[in-house]
Amino acid sequence: MFSRLTGDKWLGLLAIAAALLFIFVWVPLDTETGLIEKVRRQVRLGDSLGPVLAGGVILIGGIFTFARPNADAATLTRHNLRWMVVLLSIITISLVLMRFAGPLVTSVLTETPYRALRSTPPWNYIGYLTGGTFLIAALISVARGKITLSVMLVGIVASLVFALLYDLPFDDLQLPPNGDV
Amino acid sequence: MTVWDHALLGVASIFSGPEAFSVLGISISITLVMIALGFLMGITVGATPGLAGPMAMAIALPILISIFGYSQDAFLPVMGFLIGIMKGATLGGAVPAILFNIPGTPDAYMTTFDGYPMAQKGQAKKALKVAHLSSVSGDTFSDIVLVLCAPFLAVLVESYIDLPEKTGLLILSLAFIAAVIGDSVGKGLISMGLGLMAAMVATGEDFYPRLTFGMPELAQGFPVATAILGVLILGEVFKSIEDMVRSGIRPRDTIKSTVDGDTLTFKDVKRLAPYIARSSLIGTIIGALPGIGSTLAATLGYTYARNRYASVKAQDDPAFGEGAPEGIAATEAANSAVSGANLIPVLSLGIPGNAAAVFLILGMESIGGFNPGPSVFRLPSDGINPELVMAFGLFAAMFLTNGLNWTIGGVLMRAVGVMARVSTEVLLPVVLLLTLTAIYVQETSMAAIWIAVGFGILGYIMRRVGMSPLPFVIAFILGGNLEQTARQAFAATGGDPFFLFTHPIAALFMLMSLAVIVFNLRKSPS
Repeated sequence: MFSRLTGDKWLGLLAIAAALLFIFVWVPLDTETGLIEKVRRQVRLGDSLGPVLAGGVILIGGIFTFARPNADAATLTRHNLRWMVVLLSIITISLVLMRFAGPLVTSVLTETPYRALRSTPPWNYIGYLTGGTFLIAALISVARGKITLSVMLVGIVASLVFALLYDLPFDDLQLPPNGDV
Repeated sequence: MTVWDHALLGVASIFSGPEAFSVLGISISITLVMIALGFLMGITVGATPGLAGPMAMAIALPILISIFGYSQDAFLPVMGFLIGIMKGATLGGAVPAILFNIPGTPDAYMTTFDGYPMAQKGQAKKALKVAHLSSVSGDTFSDIVLVLCAPFLAVLVESYIDLPEKTGLLILSLAFIAAVIGDSVGKGLISMGLGLMAAMVATGEDFYPRLTFGMPELAQGFPVATAILGVLILGEVFKSIEDMVRSGIRPRDTIKSTVDGDTLTFKDVKRLAPYIARSSLIGTIIGALPGIGSTLAATLGYTYARNRYASVKAQDDPAFGEGAPEGIAATEAANSAVSGANLIPVLSLGIPGNAAAVFLILGMESIGGFNPGPSVFRLPSDGINPELVMAFGLFAAMFLTNGLNWTIGGVLMRAVGVMARVSTEVLLPVVLLLTLTAIYVQETSMAAIWIAVGFGILGYIMRRVGMSPLPFVIAFILGGNLEQTARQAFAATGGDPFFLFTHPIAALFMLMSLAVIVFNLRKSPS
């Protein structure tokens, strides 16, 4: 995507394009008042002015980056994009597990809906422990390049410690995903 | 009430808060306990490679808010804990640098140059003592400067600065931060513009929440803590794990150098004193400037000391990089001196200068009742200014942390060496889960977790393209304030569109903003 020597030029162009899109498309379409508005004969700053100036700062930054690129600057590589896909996949799976494992197990084992049990141990821990264990175990395994049973143990212990840390002393706090279900 | 009365009340508030426990009938306040715990955690975190003070502050803040709530009683225990972490982490960072050649925090990198060679020569104990003495001296000096300067700066600002000037000052601070941090001015400006843009989402004066695409999840804007934790913490975690995936996990030299050998004599202290003094001054000046962190202070302190040392050293003294205690002293005094001075712009102007200050401001804003800025130091003609009392409470907490640092810091440093053995590849995923959990318990919404992950990806990309995320974070924090002040200034000047240029001080700030951009632009990008 970005060639090594022209990384800054690409970044500058991207920033310029994003800033122009922001200033001329997004802000006008998604803001109700203009740059300056008149209310009861008083002139005041409209809601568009701040975002337009923010876009202007990005535009100037993009122009500077394009005009004065650093040949040795770090760039986004294919490896980085691949890593983002792996990372987001792991996070997505763990959050899906976190969100749905509790209701799923509850629906199989009890007649009571999960919503009624979301503050009751052990039901309220199921989603968090499953998703948390997966997140930790998967990331350690990717970092080490191998899957071992010990990483599962690390995941379970860490998730359990955090679950107890928040759940036992604080009645009013809810572990993920119990506030959403 | 006089300033002195406020100071006494502030100091008393540290000792007289809610009781944690009592020893021989003497009540120990929860604030004192939290300061000590924060300091202990800071040293431990600093000694753990892969973790840093701001990371621990970020994770601790939601937990602290959950424990102490949002009342004014929560202010000193929470802020005391955060200050304890900030100060402890700088000290702890030197431990693995000396014992294992691994800097615990980025600003301790230069400590490895002379600390590790000293440890290899069997002088680990002496090296740790030099690091301790220098770190605590720099920190204490910086705190004294803070107490002396912050109120005067605030009073000065209050006397000469009105709304147009305040708008100009905020623009100058942002311009300075964008220009001096990171790879290039252009990237600094892009980072800052993105931060301002994020701050504009769902704010404004109209009923329609602007820039939200009509999404109800964004109708309240991006939660501040969520966005900041995402960019600063998750972005760093994502990048660090990828580094390990790509370059493999390097086995660490976990053979700890023996912590014995020479001790520090009075003669040594006398020889090190000028280096400590100069680096303390450098660190304090750097710390007081928004946007320049402790790593640069350490680099400048070390470089200056190296040049000086080369001209005065005896023939048989080790050179810098070969185990000179002066190298450790110069680095540690400089990086520690940042931690007090970085509160000067925070308390007097409400402008955070570095990542640690960002989390201090976040703590203050989360609890409420204390709005950092010139009004903190306003002395009322009648009655008390609670914010001034709280400010003196903060100063007292800082000096108490220094007291702990002087007395037990050295012992703790020797004890936390074991933290360098903790595997980073295990630690970082655990930190990720803890951060996501902390965000959820605060916002109680899975959408907040997704928003944090989104900001984490942004922080990751920024780091990968050599763009510092700090201008983004500081612009995100100050963006709302900047727009509000500009609106008020515009109204107060009768709708003058050139209010930033028709008021002399505001115009001067604008000129300085332009100058700092142009000056830094002239430097070749590096």
